[in-house]
Amino acid sequence: MSLTFATEERGGTIVVHLSGRIDRDATTAFEEVAASTSAATDIELVFDDVDYINSTGIAIIVGLLARARSRRASVHATGLTAHYVHIFEITRLSDFIEIVQPADA
Amino acid sequence: MSDEPRDAVSWAKKVDRLHVTDEVKAIGYNIEGRRVAGPQQGFGRLWHRISIAEFGPTVSPQALVADWRAHFGSYWPAGSRFHGGLTGIAPGDVAPLEAGPVTTGILVLYADDVSFTFITPEGHMFAAMITFSAEETEAGTRARIDILLRTSDPIFEAGWFVIKPSEDRFWAGTLRNLAAAHGVHHPAITQTTECVDDRRIWKHWRNVVRNSGIRTVWHTVTRALRRPRRSSPVA
Repeated sequence: MSLTFATEERGGTIVVHLSGRIDRDATTAFEEVAASTSAATDIELVFDDVDYINSTGIAIIVGLLARARSRRASVHATGLTAHYVHIFEITRLSDFIEIVQPADA
Repeated sequence: MSDEPRDAVSWAKKVDRLHVTDEVKAIGYNIEGRRVAGPQQGFGRLWHRISIAEFGPTVSPQALVADWRAHFGSYWPAGSRFHGGLTGIAPGDVAPLEAGPVTTGILVLYADDVSFTFITPEGHMFAAMITFSAEETEAGTRARIDILLRTSDPIFEAGWFVIKPSEDRFWAGTLRNLAAAHGVHHPAITQTTECVDDRRIWKHWRNVVRNSGIRTVWHTVTRALRRPRRSSPVA
């Protein structure tokens, strides 16, 4: 399933609900995410409905993070499983994206 | 998200520090004990570089990547050497490499049947993720190298105008060697470079203390001092 997304504003934060796979085919969707969050200073990426991320997908997320960083916006991630938290840690994405775990995690 | 991702075996296990095997310890001095350094741990501008070669219908993407993983270093142009494992590229491998005058290495971050990805250690000339892949197109199989990189420190950033054309030649040469091994001579190769973030990360200027170029020179000039002394003959 290719990646789709929906955005909402919640208390000054642009929340981006991601759904599907994050791989090379997600490039265009992430360009649209970057465009729709280009004025945001606080971005939350919601991974609840993401079922697959490969290494190209991680590189795409790095690109989004870099664009956000270039205008000093902060980025948070929620809904990551333990496996993808591990991936964010091994790639050291977690140094720059705050990973928000559910309260009962 | 599912609790049992199907891609779990494709990823390296988490490591805080990289370690090389005993077989390559002598050449792994610029990676042993280092952490990985992805693009956001680098210093210079963020670039997305793509090299593409068209292979036509002679080989499937899966067969091409299987061969690329098995013989990765043998497709490098002369003058550079990759000290990978005998069984090829596998997730979690830590491999030293010699690129011209610089000794450094990589961690195999990810590998599946149509792609594999390296991430660089601290001190490498780039803080980067490098993905090698193959895909099916209307014209046949396309081999592709995607590099998302920042130079690691101000010294490498100052040398970017020299490093970039050298890198262009290196990866084009690799793709030509790979193509020749599959019976494709003079493949069409295209290379593009896009600046993703034109701002440097100045707080990372201290990465220079791990600069693999400087450390390789230092390692080379002090090699004689580290040689074990011969024992004196017994009178």
